[in-house]
Amino acid sequence: MAASAPSQVYSAPGRRLSLTERLRLGLNNGRISATLILLPPALILFTLFVMLPLGESFYYSFFNWNGYGVPTDFVGLQNYQRIADHSVFHVAVGNTVKIVAVSLFLQMPLALLLALLIYRKTPTNAFFRLVFFLPYILAEVAAGLIWSFVFDGNYGVSASLAQSLGTEPFFILADRDWAFVAVMTVIVWKYFGFHMMIYIAALQGVPEDLVEAARIEGAKRPQIVRYVLVPQIKPAIIVSAFFAIIGALQVFDLIIPLTNGGPSNQTHTIVTYLYTFGLTRLNIGFGSAVGVILFIVAITVAVFYQRFFMKRGQS
Amino acid sequence: MAEVRLQNVNKSFGNVTVIPDLNLTVPDGSFTVLVGPSGCGKSTLLRTIAGLEMPTSGQVLIGGEDVTLQEPSNRGISMVFQSYALYPHMTVEQNIDFGLRLAKIPAAERKERVAEAARILALQDHLDRRPGQLSGGQRQRVAIGRSIVRHPKVFLFDEPLSNLDAALRTQMRVELAQLHQSIDATMIYVTHDQVEAMTLADQIVVMNAGRIEQVGPPMELYEAPQTEFVASFIGSPKMNLLPGSAIARDDVRTVGIRPEHILVDRTGGDWAARTQVVETLGADTIAYMVADGLGDVTVRLPGHVRLKAGEQLYLTPERQNLHLFGQDGRRMKEAA
Repeated sequence: MAASAPSQVYSAPGRRLSLTERLRLGLNNGRISATLILLPPALILFTLFVMLPLGESFYYSFFNWNGYGVPTDFVGLQNYQRIADHSVFHVAVGNTVKIVAVSLFLQMPLALLLALLIYRKTPTNAFFRLVFFLPYILAEVAAGLIWSFVFDGNYGVSASLAQSLGTEPFFILADRDWAFVAVMTVIVWKYFGFHMMIYIAALQGVPEDLVEAARIEGAKRPQIVRYVLVPQIKPAIIVSAFFAIIGALQVFDLIIPLTNGGPSNQTHTIVTYLYTFGLTRLNIGFGSAVGVILFIVAITVAVFYQRFFMKRGQS
Repeated sequence: MAEVRLQNVNKSFGNVTVIPDLNLTVPDGSFTVLVGPSGCGKSTLLRTIAGLEMPTSGQVLIGGEDVTLQEPSNRGISMVFQSYALYPHMTVEQNIDFGLRLAKIPAAERKERVAEAARILALQDHLDRRPGQLSGGQRQRVAIGRSIVRHPKVFLFDEPLSNLDAALRTQMRVELAQLHQSIDATMIYVTHDQVEAMTLADQIVVMNAGRIEQVGPPMELYEAPQTEFVASFIGSPKMNLLPGSAIARDDVRTVGIRPEHILVDRTGGDWAARTQVVETLGADTIAYMVADGLGDVTVRLPGHVRLKAGEQLYLTPERQNLHLFGQDGRRMKEAA
């Protein structure tokens, strides 16, 4: 009986495999079939719902188009020029930057502090974990409506508070200076639980021996946090910051029920700006241009962050 | 250096009592090894001495001072963990230096102490590396170095060699013994490996189910085990524990005889036995046999003796080396 051909391809050390050999190896170990079976669904969905709309948006952004019929009124870069000159867009960008700052410097430290308090596995901690995580589970629109009621100076919780204190009711969401502070408060309240959970998962993975060794060495609790726990969960902090930044760029559905971008367009973010001045006013070309700008900002941040922070965190 | 004394120490976790009521004195400057099977409470006891566990009742005294309620860092102890517990994000130097930095020791003195520890443990060339770049033995040395630099009164070791391979374990055992000789500090060492206990200890504490079975120098435990448990635990291969009928004594529940104290003859002897397995170790030959009416018997013979599996032999125990245990499992005073 003739010997059958070997099912595996082996190469001498240091020799590069030829294309045919690599293909044979891929077929034999199932990598090619796995790729052929698993890749198309994801690739088709990504192309249909991300790449094609993105390409279309980029195309529409050069037209003055209301969304009906075929875009014919080519305006070049005029939409981008209008955006650059629009004061509300400047406010929206400023607000988005504020949300990023609050997420990084208030929300994340708060989440870390709470995570440090309740990361150990006890029934009491499990209860508090659930309580702190609840806002994140709540739908954004529902959370926005709840807080709009809380802030309502006529009938809301703040009205009752003002009444009990004997002061004039304060309509914070109608105040140009304070409305966005209220919005940011709601954002912190809504999302800190998510970051807290990331930190809790990471803290639970830190070997208890390290903490005990530090205690024996004379470290007090703040020193254990600074020198042992935080360095140990650094990769989780970097990922959490990434989510915070990308999330901040996309804030939309909390603001619509809370302020709808008002008063006087003072609480817009880039996405609510896109929605208000692009979609609701049927300026699809203009809205597409905002979308393209947002995409470029998001992709730049993501690539930069991946390259400089996440790789460093892993190393 | 300091004596460590445990007075009526009890430790319970909820309804489970791990250490019922324990009294122990670890002499100043001694190398005391706590040995016992897994779950016997030896690590809990060590952690209680360290202050990582609070005793449910009782007192812990170090150098005559009651430290029961004191923080671990105020007890003058240092501890080497089974996992080494090195900080992976710090270099070797930073790991060794960590405690000194926290204690706000001046930089010059810190540098001097770290250099001294690195010299003792041959770590000079690795100070800039991180733990992940070191071998198991080197990590172990860093963990010991971290202990040394703080100049503690008492060193605690929690199964520090259990993650090392056999060859490295032997090497580190010698290094630990040398370290004890050179710094002459009180050391308390937990292990479940009785070979480590025998080779390292001045004093061995054999524990079983949270209780101390026997305390004494290694050879005392080897030559005169006070209970059946100690007899079975100390020594490798284990002591043969046979029914009293082996020597025709009704008052003896168990008779113990070490494998090296049994004579083997092909023509005649007290017990007829058949060889099951023979291990040739070079210096020794270990024969696992089944004696008629008595059960398994292990015999240690000189390395040049050649036995075959299935061979029929006769065994005769050395009368002067028999260990007799009464109905309560304790050693009987009278000789065999």
